[in-house]
Amino acid sequence: MPFSLRLPRSLERQGWKVKIRDRERLEPPHVSIIRGTRVWRVDLRTGKFMDIEPDAADVAGEVKAEVYGAWVMLQQRWDAIYPGNPVQSKENDNE
Amino acid sequence: MSEPTLLLADGGNTAPFQPLRPRMIRSAADARTAYESEVNRHAWWVALAADGLRHLVALRPRASRAGCLLVLKPVSPQRRAFVDTLFADVLAPAEPDGFLSARELVDVFRSPNAEDLFIGGDVDLADRVVILYRGNLHRIAVPFDWFKTRRGAPKPDFKDFAITDSGQTVRLGDYEAAADAILYEFDAGARRRMNQRAIREDQSFGGALRRLRLQRGVSRTAFPGIDAKTIARIERGEVETPHEATLAVIAKLLGVEPREIATY
Repeated sequence: MPFSLRLPRSLERQGWKVKIRDRERLEPPHVSIIRGTRVWRVDLRTGKFMDIEPDAADVAGEVKAEVYGAWVMLQQRWDAIYPGNPVQSKENDNE
Repeated sequence: MSEPTLLLADGGNTAPFQPLRPRMIRSAADARTAYESEVNRHAWWVALAADGLRHLVALRPRASRAGCLLVLKPVSPQRRAFVDTLFADVLAPAEPDGFLSARELVDVFRSPNAEDLFIGGDVDLADRVVILYRGNLHRIAVPFDWFKTRRGAPKPDFKDFAITDSGQTVRLGDYEAAADAILYEFDAGARRRMNQRAIREDQSFGGALRRLRLQRGVSRTAFPGIDAKTIARIERGEVETPHEATLAVIAKLLGVEPREIATY
């Protein structure tokens, strides 16, 4: 089942959604901020926005605060959905 | 979208389509004039309901079919066969929820990245594929097997299909797949566009191999005849030019051509 971060009603009404779906591009682990036809991916390892477009500045500050406020929980949700590619990669690079 | 939009308006709400500045088709005469005009040769016709299709009955098919017809509500196989004689392409999902809502549909058509969003689709239970319609009206077929599940998680319900999040998510019951994940795997052009948009610190061949390997859920130890350490060294960029035979083994297991690895 996908994970949707519960946002304040005012942000939901504005069409903001924050999701980790059952099938995503896997590397790196990320959370998707969705509004209408636009999506911003945020790297769950570094906290950085992953794409040049759309502009990260277009994401409402309140949405960013919700995402970073739930950071550990988002990482845990990713790990639960994608145990094969966890945020803190357990893969031994020297194997 | 740059093509003209012609709206077969009978039986539906036209308001959401106004941003596309459509030409309204309200009679057989309107339909004939529009269909015979060269300006509309590649137009997108949108039927809000099956009722609107009756205006097409008097049309004489072109020598070579052109244009595309979207029928937003399910139609009978007979009517579908008829409109197939008139248009180069007809998108007419079998299920009532086969398309996005009208408002979201228009949002996708107006989006600069419409081709990377889905507007609707169909599920072929017999052949076990999901056929997805993109915002540029092209189709893509995704085998059921691609919608992987992990143990204990809900399985995709292929009888409960919908496109959500304004074309960014494919929903199958309680299961959701990201549109960009699908396109990244099945369309090299979309993959190129996404890679251009990405702020990527690791643009090396090794980085691409690692992304592809993880996407496929393959361990470094799974490549026959290749030591896991060798795979790790390639991914870290310590092997400048991997041997052709090594690449062939890697590519085969990952289900791509060797030259495609670098595109991931």
